[in-house]
Amino acid sequence: MDELMDILMEIDPDIDYANETNLIDGKVLDSMSILALITEICDVFDIEIGPKWMRNENFNSVEAMWNMIQAIQEEE
Amino acid sequence: MAITSLSFILFIIAVFIAYFAVPKRFQWIVLLVTSTVFYLSYGIKSALYIFVTASTIYGATRWMQSITDNQKKYLKENKATLSKEEKSAYKDKNKKARKRIMVLTLLLNVGILCVFKYFHFALEQVNAVIGLFGGNQISDVYKFIVPLGISFYTFQSVGYLVDVYFEYYSAEKNYFKVLLFVTFFPQMTQGPISDFEKLSKELFTEYTLDYKNYSWGLQRMVWGFAKKMLIADTLAPMVKDVFTNYSQYTGITTLIGAFLYSIQIYADFSGYMDIMCGICEVMGIKLTENFDRPYFSKSIAEYWRRWHISLGDWFKKYIYYTIGMSNWSRKLATKTKDKFGKHLGNTVPATVALIVVWTATGLWHGATWAYIAWGLVNGLFIIFSLWMEPVYAGAKSKLKINDNNWAWQAFQILRTFILVTFIKVLPEVGTLSDGIGLWRQVFTNHVIPHTKMELMPYVNWKHNVDILAFLLAMFFTFLQFCASVIQNKQPVRAYFNKLPQVVRVFIIAVLVVLIASFGVQATWDAGGFMYANY
Repeated sequence: MDELMDILMEIDPDIDYANETNLIDGKVLDSMSILALITEICDVFDIEIGPKWMRNENFNSVEAMWNMIQAIQEEE
Repeated sequence: MAITSLSFILFIIAVFIAYFAVPKRFQWIVLLVTSTVFYLSYGIKSALYIFVTASTIYGATRWMQSITDNQKKYLKENKATLSKEEKSAYKDKNKKARKRIMVLTLLLNVGILCVFKYFHFALEQVNAVIGLFGGNQISDVYKFIVPLGISFYTFQSVGYLVDVYFEYYSAEKNYFKVLLFVTFFPQMTQGPISDFEKLSKELFTEYTLDYKNYSWGLQRMVWGFAKKMLIADTLAPMVKDVFTNYSQYTGITTLIGAFLYSIQIYADFSGYMDIMCGICEVMGIKLTENFDRPYFSKSIAEYWRRWHISLGDWFKKYIYYTIGMSNWSRKLATKTKDKFGKHLGNTVPATVALIVVWTATGLWHGATWAYIAWGLVNGLFIIFSLWMEPVYAGAKSKLKINDNNWAWQAFQILRTFILVTFIKVLPEVGTLSDGIGLWRQVFTNHVIPHTKMELMPYVNWKHNVDILAFLLAMFFTFLQFCASVIQNKQPVRAYFNKLPQVVRVFIIAVLVVLIASFGVQATWDAGGFMYANY
């Protein structure tokens, strides 16, 4: 979780990730930040985020992202 | 059936009556029948293609769903006997079968779109290449009538196909419900391009006539007609005049014409959306919003998140992320990171995806080099801003610029509006060289006009009615601007509905009288909606 938080803080340190649950639906993160985020997540956690994981609910909060990473790791 | 015609108003009244008169479980059938009638009013030949799209998409999604369902059933029944390798091989076989169905259906439907929209353009390019080698050119004898709304309904249908392929949700079992999703008349000709999951919830819910929905919906319709008929259609002939005769006009005259075009296209497209969202609101249906005060954006990227939102979302979901997340794009990012640092490395997937998306967006709007150039110019601005982000941040910090400072925000908004206007006119003047010619005219012809006739020769200053129509268009543009400023702080519609009923009825009545007095003639002269051509 800390590694994920580090990635997010590097993308935009002004966002309150601990409490934000609407990162995508609320347009807090734009599409360019999302791609940078995905690139970093894939590199750091050594996973592939396929198109089926590209749903807003998987990126709306840190917890949702963390659950997605774990689900992909289990699947792989 | 033109949207701004009396026949359309009568059609809508008939739809409302039928929708609330039938038992609620049949409401969606009323929408299907009326949508079919609406589409057929544009010609039977054209309707054939929308039925082909709806039918092939329905067939393909059902087929893919049956493979998924059978797979689940088979794996459940044989859980104990199958080895891990056997399960994996079985899943792979099914995945390939589903992919084949998806790709073939995609090719068929996108192929139809390409033939109608890009055949002549492609042939022109082939002939240009043949010409270079002195060969015999292929004569273009084919005449196609582009089916109404083909770019919109094809994208929407393909989105549904891909969503079912990725198992975001299950395929709809009822063919007629898919047919309604594809043909739903308020969004078929100019969008919004909707997601099946969201739109189906709206279309297949049962609604009771509600006073708030009814009055708010009607108000929004009238406001939409006012934007289209009093602003867009009044400015249309003036903009056309500037685009035709810009080489004879001064730079300032041409620049004003370009700004009038920005006002015209926004009033035209958002006016259409207001009419359609209003119609849906009366019936209790919430249509996806396509605009969020785009001219108040502080960057080109933000502008495109607030203008034609549903098209941007479609490209983002189905092309931008697919390319940006591809293995080769990520490998390129890793290599760039090693050589040029983390920031540039992380921007590589977005850069590659943006180039593809903006070329495609240009082509989606029109099969000309001017539209491709328009798309790429937009893309290049966004990419450049992305690359320069750390430089901007450093410069802002040194200059102690506060992002929340109103003067800085106003500067950013004005800068973006001017940039957007210059980019917008590029493909609209004619050829690409015409578009560049108009830019050149603005910057090189410094003659100062001395009279209003010289400043704005496209306004008919000799006729009081035309002057009044122009002033009305400017007044409503100002009203729109004020509404957008208020909207930033509180919802304008809630504010309007707090007014006494007598005042509200009076305002709506005035709008209707103005539309009937000035708008009908302007619309008669100007023709249909601009986005219907895309």
